[in-house]
Formats: sequence, structure tokens, C-alpha cells
Amino acid sequence: MIGRGPAHLLVAPGLALVAFVFLAPFLLLVAMSFWSQPEGSLLVDTTLTFKNYIRIFSDAYYLRGLGRTLWLSVATVALALVLGFPVAFWIVRRAGRLRRFVTALMLLPMVCGALLPTLGLVNLLSPLGIINGTLKTMGLIDRAIPLLGTQIGILIGLVQAFLPLMVLPLVAVLDRLPPSFEEAAMSLGARPAQVWQRVVLPLAAPGVLAGAVLVFCAALTSFVTPQILGQGKIATFATMTWQQASLVLDWPFASALAMVMLGLMAGLGGLLAVLRRANWAQT
Amino acid sequence: MRRIILSGFTAFVVLFTVAPLLVLVFSSFDDGKFFRFPPRELSLRWFRAAFASAEYRSSLFNSTVVGLLATVISVTLGTAAALGLQRGVLKTRASLEMVLLAPLTLPLVIWAIALLQIYAWLGIGGTLSGLVLAHATFTLPFSVRVMLATLSSIDPGLELAARSLGARPWRAFARVTLPLALPGLATSVALSFFISFNDVIVSTFIAGSSWMTFPVRLYSQLRGQGIDPTTLAIGTMVICSILSVVILTEIFSRKALRT
Repeated sequence: MIGRGPAHLLVAPGLALVAFVFLAPFLLLVAMSFWSQPEGSLLVDTTLTFKNYIRIFSDAYYLRGLGRTLWLSVATVALALVLGFPVAFWIVRRAGRLRRFVTALMLLPMVCGALLPTLGLVNLLSPLGIINGTLKTMGLIDRAIPLLGTQIGILIGLVQAFLPLMVLPLVAVLDRLPPSFEEAAMSLGARPAQVWQRVVLPLAAPGVLAGAVLVFCAALTSFVTPQILGQGKIATFATMTWQQASLVLDWPFASALAMVMLGLMAGLGGLLAVLRRANWAQT
Repeated sequence: MRRIILSGFTAFVVLFTVAPLLVLVFSSFDDGKFFRFPPRELSLRWFRAAFASAEYRSSLFNSTVVGLLATVISVTLGTAAALGLQRGVLKTRASLEMVLLAPLTLPLVIWAIALLQIYAWLGIGGTLSGLVLAHATFTLPFSVRVMLATLSSIDPGLELAARSLGARPWRAFARVTLPLALPGLATSVALSFFISFNDVIVSTFIAGSSWMTFPVRLYSQLRGQGIDPTTLAIGTMVICSILSVVILTEIFSRKALRT
């Protein structure tokens, strides 16, 4: 073994990198959100002000954007849960030798980054794409349903991108749930629906919560999906933040928008901690 | 019956998840100028165009350089930190580990805005060093995690045995622990490189026109004039290389398990 003395010095370079490139910019962001930028100037006025936050919560444009972002995130969580739960259940109980393969398939789009799947989705959703094409050949519609540049299109993209974040925690909790529990409930006369409602779902609740938080935070701060699939027509908090930072160049205001997203996530985390404690007290 | 419904539903959801990539791969072999599916006439036209275009070559070159440099920093610092955490004083371990993993917890968009501002102030916005530092930082947590898991699976007694037989500390480490950690090192290298190579969010915020990576070019194209089929061919090549690395590491780790 390398001696005890130098051992913890080995952590120092990594810590320095995180401190300078991660923590320092983050602190600047927090400070920046309380500063302001006088109109027509690129210099920042460093007197403490709540101007940026007041603007976000009093301007209808940002409030609507906030509402839209929240609804899209909540809808993504709901859809991911409905689609992800059966998949997780299948992976744990029925996949057998296919388990590693199917899990890898579910993870592949995430490994490919945000852009390549989005590029494929642009084709899937376009008026000449597969979804519209299939519906047309089946004779279900005569004119293409607009999906690109709509909230439905963004929702499809968000669910596609973040579904694995729901499936993985669900697989983790279901793995710890022995099939004998369900069999016991069945043998005591419970109907399949009752087994689900009384046994599987309550025991899977921690996984559902974990997955829901992961998907919610990912959808809330997703930037590429709404920007590309929304075709610039639909503003979410992340795209507004980018717009302020890169196009308008009002960095203090962009920082405040980012801090609001962070506040929402922190609020959700706090709520979850309270829920967990309540749940824990009950059992 | 219920089993069939469950399996069918699962197949549908898995297909939905990979469909965008399948569409991308199949359409890249289409001869036409438009992104369409299914392809009508198969050709390698866009693959030839990808290799011929200086613009794409340079952006792929930039992505590779940034990815390689960031990977070297991330894996070196990550391995060192994992070693330090494992063998150092236990009291501070949890909090040090939390700091090292912190970049994972903050959404990239929020961090990217912070970086943009501090980089402008330092004057390294849009430079190679700025990009590499950022990429090394957000891939560091992955290296630390993988290396911590790898090191904890290695029996420390082996290195002690080497030392009691007279090997010096560094030699014992290099000849005993390091070879055993190779599968973990390979995983961290692959993870760091691909995460860096595919990053669009951080790079879009901080990259200037001088160091444009492939995802940034693709992103600005998607936002602007629409899709050039050449990018589909490049996307297909990226997906194939990721797939082959995943398969290779799988084979590699199975072999390592067997021996």
C-alpha cells in the first residue's frame, strides 16, 4: 500500500478541479442573480437587488413559461411511470437471459447523448415522418398532425429521453421484492388487481418516488429537447435561460432564471424528505 | 394472456426508446437529399460526403481532441482521488466524496450558465483549455465512482503481500493493483470519452467559433436550416462506435470475471 501520509493528498487535484471549475462558478451564479445589468450596458451593477426575481414572478411571459415547464415535467413523470412500470416489472420477473440485453437497449439512447436521439425524433415527428406516415397509410387521418413545434411533440421527446431514469430505480426496488409475496397474497385469496394495489405498488413506492424525482428534475431542466422539437416556438424555463444568457446577454437575469429552476428542485427535494419521514413514521 | 400483453407492451416501450436511433441509422443509407424513413434507394453517398467535408472533419477532430484531453485529466484525477478516498483518513471520506460527486447533482444547463460567466471573466471562453477543463469536471464524478467500485473489489492483501516480499510501494501498486484495476480503468476511459464527445449543453454555452465540436455544429444546424443528411451518416458512425465499445467492454469484463 502507498503510505498513509500521501494517500489523502491524492484527492487534492480532483478537489481543486471541482472547486475551481464547479463550485466557484456556482457561487458566482448565486451572487449574479442578485445583481443587475443596467439597460444598454454590458457592465454588471453589483448592488444587491431582488429585481430579477421580482421580474420573473410578475411578468406574465415568465409565469406562463414556468407553468408550461411545470406541466410538461409533471406530464413526463406521469407518462414515464405508466410506460416504465410494466417494463421494469417485465425486466425483473420475465426477462431471464434477455435482462442485460434489454437493459442495455433502454440505456443506449442516453449513452448517445442528447442530440442524436433528438435528431431521430425530428424525423419521427415531422409531417412526413413515420408516425404521421403510418397513421395516414392506416387511413386514420388524412392530414398530418402537427407534432414538431407543439407541446405534444416535446412531451414525446422528453418521455423518450428520460424513461430510463424511471425504469432503473423501479428495477432496483422490484428486484428486492420476492415473488413469494405476490404468491402469498394470491394464495390468501387476493385477486390480481388487489395484489397490485395492496402488495406490489406500496412496496415499489420508494422506487416510484426516486424515479419521479429524477425524471422531473431532468425534464424541468431539459434544454435540447424543447429547443429542437419545439422549433423555437415553445419556451420553457431552460430555453428562456439560454436565450437570456446567449442572445440577450443579460447574465444577471439568466442567473436568476437558473436559480428559480434550482429552487424548484430543492423544494421538491424538501417535500420528498418530509414524505419519506411521514412514510417512515407510519411503518 | 396477461403475460403476452405485458411482453407486448414492454416490446413496444423498448422499441419507442430506441426508435429514434434506428430511424437515424436507417435513413443515413438513403440516397435522397431529405431525411426520410424508410429509405428508398440505398447508398453510401452521405458517408462519402462526411469524409470529404472539411467542416465536419474539423468539428469531429475538435470533439476528439477535447474528449481525449478531458478523459486523460478525468481518469487520472479520478483514479488518484478514488485511491486517496480509499486509503486516506476515514473521517473526512464521506464529505470529500460528496464534493467530488457534486457536479453530477447540478443540472448541466444551470452549471453551463455559471461557467459562461466565469469563463468570460477569466478570458478563456471559447478556448480549448476552457472546454477541456469543463469536460474534465463533469466527467470526473463518473471516473471517481467507477474507480471506487473497482478498487473496493480488489483485495488489499495482494499489494501487502507484494510489499512483504520486498517490492517498493509504487512498484507493488503498479505491478499488482493497477493490472487488476484495468477493466475499471477501461470503463472510466470509455464513459468519460463518450460523455465528453456527446456533450452539447455545456459546449453550446461556452464554445466559441474557434473550437466548435461536432455536437455544437449539429445543434446549431438543427436550430437553423434543418438537417443535412451528412450529419446522419456521422451520427450513425458515432452510434456504431459507442455500440462496439459497449460490446467490447462487456466481453472484456466477462473474460476478466472468468479468470
